[in-house]
Amino acid sequence: MASAPRPERDLGLLAGCLPPYPPPPTTVGLLSMEQQETYLELYLDQCAAQDDLAPPRSPLFNPVVPYDMYILNASNPDTAFNSNPEVKETSGDFSSVDLSFLPDEVTQENKDQPVISSRHETEESSESQSPQSRLPSPSEQDIGLGLNSSSLSNSHSQLHPGDTDSVRPSPEKPNSDSLSLAPITPMTPMTPVSECCGIVPQLQNIVSTVNLACKLDLKKIALHAKNAEYNPKRFAAVIMRIREPRTTALIFSSGKMVCTGAKSEEQSRLAARKYARVVQKLGFPARFLDFKIQNMVGSCDVRFPIRLEGLVLTHQQFSSYEPELFPGLIYRMVKPRIVLLIFVSGKVVLTGAKERSEIYEAFENIYPILKGFKKA
Amino acid sequence: MPGRGRCPDCGSTELVEDSHYSQSQLVCSDCGCVVTEGVLTTTFSDEGNLREVTYSRSTGENEQISRSQQRGLRRVRDLCRVLQLPPTFEDTAVAYYQQAYRHSGIRAARLQKKEVLVGCCVLITCRQHNWPLTMGAICTLLYADLDVFSSIYMQIVKLLGLDVPSLCLAELVKTYCSSFKLFQASPSVPAKYVEDKEKMLSRTLQLVELANETWLVTGRHPLPVITAATFLAWQSLQPADRLSCSLARFCKLANVDLPYPASSRLQELLAVLLRMAEQLAWLRVLRLDKRSVVKHIGDLLQHRHSLVRLAFRDGTAEVETRGKEPPAWGQGQREGEVGNNSLGLPQGKRPASPALLLPPCMLKPPKRICPAPPVSTVTGDENISDSEIEQYLRTPQEVRDFQRAQAARQAATSVPNPP
Repeated sequence: MASAPRPERDLGLLAGCLPPYPPPPTTVGLLSMEQQETYLELYLDQCAAQDDLAPPRSPLFNPVVPYDMYILNASNPDTAFNSNPEVKETSGDFSSVDLSFLPDEVTQENKDQPVISSRHETEESSESQSPQSRLPSPSEQDIGLGLNSSSLSNSHSQLHPGDTDSVRPSPEKPNSDSLSLAPITPMTPMTPVSECCGIVPQLQNIVSTVNLACKLDLKKIALHAKNAEYNPKRFAAVIMRIREPRTTALIFSSGKMVCTGAKSEEQSRLAARKYARVVQKLGFPARFLDFKIQNMVGSCDVRFPIRLEGLVLTHQQFSSYEPELFPGLIYRMVKPRIVLLIFVSGKVVLTGAKERSEIYEAFENIYPILKGFKKA
Repeated sequence: MPGRGRCPDCGSTELVEDSHYSQSQLVCSDCGCVVTEGVLTTTFSDEGNLREVTYSRSTGENEQISRSQQRGLRRVRDLCRVLQLPPTFEDTAVAYYQQAYRHSGIRAARLQKKEVLVGCCVLITCRQHNWPLTMGAICTLLYADLDVFSSIYMQIVKLLGLDVPSLCLAELVKTYCSSFKLFQASPSVPAKYVEDKEKMLSRTLQLVELANETWLVTGRHPLPVITAATFLAWQSLQPADRLSCSLARFCKLANVDLPYPASSRLQELLAVLLRMAEQLAWLRVLRLDKRSVVKHIGDLLQHRHSLVRLAFRDGTAEVETRGKEPPAWGQGQREGEVGNNSLGLPQGKRPASPALLLPPCMLKPPKRICPAPPVSTVTGDENISDSEIEQYLRTPQEVRDFQRAQAARQAATSVPNPP
């Protein structure tokens, strides 16, 4: 579940981004006490924030409200909009805020839609990615939100039961809608802002694991699949490869699978699903449980030479530089827990991340240190 | 007797010490069960009954040093003596070995690993005292693989949380140069090849410093650089006689192994010296090449600091601006120098514009241009078409063919053993 959002900050920013505020909804009588108070809060914040119109810092315009709401909607479609008050109270501070008063343009056209998980399949867990990091399938989530917002803006506090039907199928039919919203930008910026002179580490490899949850006959797989190799004397798993996305998978007889070689998290997931499909087609009851990204490797180039001997002197507790063994310096960053290989040519390899943001954060941390060693 | 334990059978505390045919026994006076019998006991619970237990199950193992550890400590001391290290090093290395041995992972490691651990402890001790011992040397002494040594070394440094300083280059130069057998005439070393140790050492040190300054040492194994520097120093001290000698021959008659990268380090060092020579007016006219520059190494080294500054511009700034700076500024600066030159060089002759001071890996053109990866719009949840999966599966006919081929191969490999 999403972590509890910080209402004050988000409210203020939310307020700051909005056009002049309409008066609070008149259907006060239908609201509970807490809901009334939150509306009042919002209104007052909006008025106070009129003077300092904060620039629409898109990544931060992320009231986790709709995220919470839609998680509950997705998992309990029957209870979602009919039992409005319960839903709003149980899902966090922001859940009681109704965005119905927002004009349509803000919710639909604003590129920085909050993150929703449309993932109501239990197999595909979102554990590997926190709510604040980029979630896959932005388009369908945006569409889902768009639909919900439009339905919300039509009614004030009470959402008609009729909307439930229109809302519920939306996460399941991503391509059916015409609304095309920009990809989601989460709470923490996915791409580093220009502090690092615009150098962005590129992801080179993603290693992920998934559980197919059925015992496999590796001999049969090696016999019936063209892209499989199996040499039990060398290694106790089938090595399977697919062309698109170009990846390699190790499939074990216990049903566990390791997928390597993808260049992004989504590609890794797609590739893992394709492997599961191949196994399925071979006659095994394969499922797709516990998909988890285990390691991400990124690389980039700072474009100036680095005095590694100097770096190991000043950062001795983190660095290990043994030119007799390896030409690069091994820097073990503590926060985030990433290992960086730094070479004299200025090329940096970052590995050990479970999330994309860790790689970006690690590079942002190391860049000023490396800049200090630019001159001979 | 009370307080001596209970009988395991009936639980009574009435145990009597009795001797049966000169073998001491503890007997329960109630049921007659023999609680202990001499030293032939095997269970740990026996200790609770005050019976003797085997050594491996007793707590004595933690108090005394095990045989394996004793062997390891002996090896550490032997290695220190072979390397002729000062006596204080021995104690430090022994302490490190004991410290490492306290970890269960090391105690349970294979003998090969423990052997390499001996070398690691000695190496760490030497590094901390700035004693120039290379990993290659230790691996040769221990008959160990460098990869195995590397993994255990990194593991032990992390495990013990040690601060190991880098190899001291100056000390390594002194030790390594002294090992060259060129300081006395011998049947293999003709008189004209013999050299004074001090002169060679000082010149080699200067060359290594120059290499360090011009990015030839960072990221590389230090030893080949020193070999190349020693060779150049030796050649330059008597170029007339020694220019004909190659690097390989030099190492052979000095009785030193030639490391493989030494020849490329030599070329890099000569290139740096040539660039520096371009800045000296009286050398510019001579149009030096890689062989003739050796004769002037003495002069070049004498003015090396200023020459490096003149010959090379800051590579970092250049790389960043990527050619936005006009290269002409370098030549403009030199105008005055040329004008003042008493030799009156013709107008076209001026020193080359400063080269970039960058590590050689940055100066070489990239082997292949890596295009930026196309922005992927994969969401991970797309539909996977059946046809795409089918392309990876064999048709039944293909399966049969494959099975037949496999069977044929099996038959072929098993044939060559006729009964």
